[in-house]
Amino acid sequence: MIRLQSIVKSFTVAKDEVQVLKGIDLRIRQGEFTAIMGPSGSGKSTLMNIIGCLDRPTSGAYFLNGDLVSQYDENELAHIRNRSIGFVFQQFQLLPRLNALKNVELPMIYAGLSKKERQKRAADALEKVGLSERMHHLPNELSGGQKQRVAIARAIVNQPDLILADEPTGALDTKTSRQIMELFTMLNQEGATIVVVTHEEEVAEYAKRIVHVRDGLLVKDEDHVAAKEGESVE
Amino acid sequence: MSIIENIKMALSSLRAHKMRSVLTMLGIIIGVGSVIAVVAIGQGGEAMLKSQIAGSENTIELLYMPSDEELQANPNTMMMAPFTEEDIRAVESIPEVKQVVATSSEYGRIRYREEQIEASITGINQAYLDVNGLEVESGRNLLSADFLGGRRVAVVSASLQDELFDGEDPLGQVIYIRAQPVEIVGILEAPTGLFDFGVNEVYLPWNTWRTVFASSDYSQVTLQTDRAEELQEAGTKAADLLNRMHGTEESYQVVNMEEIAAGIGQVTRIMTIIIGSIAGVSLLVGGIGVMNIMLVSVTERTREIGVRMSLGATRGQILFQFLIEAVTLTLIGGAIGMMLGGGAASLVSYFAGWPSLVSWPVVVGGLLFSMVIGVIFGILPANKAARLDPIQSLRYE
Repeated sequence: MIRLQSIVKSFTVAKDEVQVLKGIDLRIRQGEFTAIMGPSGSGKSTLMNIIGCLDRPTSGAYFLNGDLVSQYDENELAHIRNRSIGFVFQQFQLLPRLNALKNVELPMIYAGLSKKERQKRAADALEKVGLSERMHHLPNELSGGQKQRVAIARAIVNQPDLILADEPTGALDTKTSRQIMELFTMLNQEGATIVVVTHEEEVAEYAKRIVHVRDGLLVKDEDHVAAKEGESVE
Repeated sequence: MSIIENIKMALSSLRAHKMRSVLTMLGIIIGVGSVIAVVAIGQGGEAMLKSQIAGSENTIELLYMPSDEELQANPNTMMMAPFTEEDIRAVESIPEVKQVVATSSEYGRIRYREEQIEASITGINQAYLDVNGLEVESGRNLLSADFLGGRRVAVVSASLQDELFDGEDPLGQVIYIRAQPVEIVGILEAPTGLFDFGVNEVYLPWNTWRTVFASSDYSQVTLQTDRAEELQEAGTKAADLLNRMHGTEESYQVVNMEEIAAGIGQVTRIMTIIIGSIAGVSLLVGGIGVMNIMLVSVTERTREIGVRMSLGATRGQILFQFLIEAVTLTLIGGAIGMMLGGGAASLVSYFAGWPSLVSWPVVVGGLLFSMVIGVIFGILPANKAARLDPIQSLRYE
């Protein structure tokens, strides 16, 4: 579903060109639960931004569902982000003035759905993450774990091809982190393709496959589906 | 994303910062309000001046202004009342002329018992009632029979009633003009116009006036036509006719009322434009205030913009969102300003006694202009928002 071919990304910092990604080749199949790991500065965030269509590679090809999205213009990328990708961020990134339901409705507003349809689907999504009781709460009335659940509901509400989580447990305690990761596991078992970017071993262990990035290159690709199958349900 | 969705979003984000929104709007409110007030008062003043000076009834006055040569040839000219009975008949026979208002005025003493006052005494023909009208407050107006029979009846102004009768009811009382008794049958309404002061006036039917003053000439002649377009032509014809009848070159003339009215209109319009543009400067300042606050708002909401972009908002949608927000701000401000400006104008016109004209074009124009201000001063902040980089924005603290 995702195919990256010799992806290079370089930034110009004070007239010097710095290569952050130095040629990444990666395939992720439909229904996979993949963790991208690497220390800070390894280029994993940049890789995530490219997979998430927030950024375009300097060179190389990125196919999403067979479409060469690395050639898309900004408006087309916005459309892809809206329809095909669901983001979950470390800092939740909920809009503080909107309640949980309205936050989950946001991507559907940009998808042009009717208000009725939006409310129905947002309520369904919140129920799925176990927050139907807190639909009308503002983000600051919710705990960290609850906020992240709202964010996950927002990510899945447009039924994207890919859920992309950037350090989703970075701001949560251990117990809550576990709950959130179990939620991802559940979504994965229902068929969602998930990519988690993290530097924490415990988080990565929920994934069926761990990809290690270092200095802008893929260094290790462990596909331990069989080994993790039992634990991931806990 | 629909416009309605955007407007709702704009309203909710304006509500989220009520104090700031109101203060920002204040600039627009004051700007639009003062422009509307100035324009409304100006248009009202113009309408009033025109109606008072040019007369709104398709009338034009014939003037007698003998040249120096004619005065030298016949020194008595100045003393004579210029219009005779035949002149009136002749002017009435001009096809365009509907009717001719002829009056004569003298300033003289009026006596009631031992009291005496000075008053302007005007003899009017019946056409005067049709054209100028006498607004009678109490008693009755002059009637056809009064004109035909030369009855000794009079209608007097309210101020004359105050001065001469001292609270007594003057109706039915007899006053003496040049030792001739005249009965008061009606009192006029007190004037309300800006340039109308309480004047002591007595109106007599023409035939009565002629007897009292022993003069059969008219000092003032105004003619009326059916259509305003015929007015100038009829006036010119009448002046030519009178010059021919009296063997004069151009002693009889007409004033071009259209020119005067146009001149007055131009003066008031220029005044309105000058004062209006001074008021418009405050609108400009208000617009800059909107831009300033919108820029602050964009910076504050950098993360929101990043989130929206990550959820699939295009740059165009972000631009539109902030533009709508600015326009909503100025539009609401404009509407409030318009109400306050209209209110101020009606207040001024109430005390000045002239109509204020808040016309539909002004309202629509004002609202459109508020929107334009919103677009002009909103485009820079909105553009700034739309050009943010989503990755940077998501990290913004």
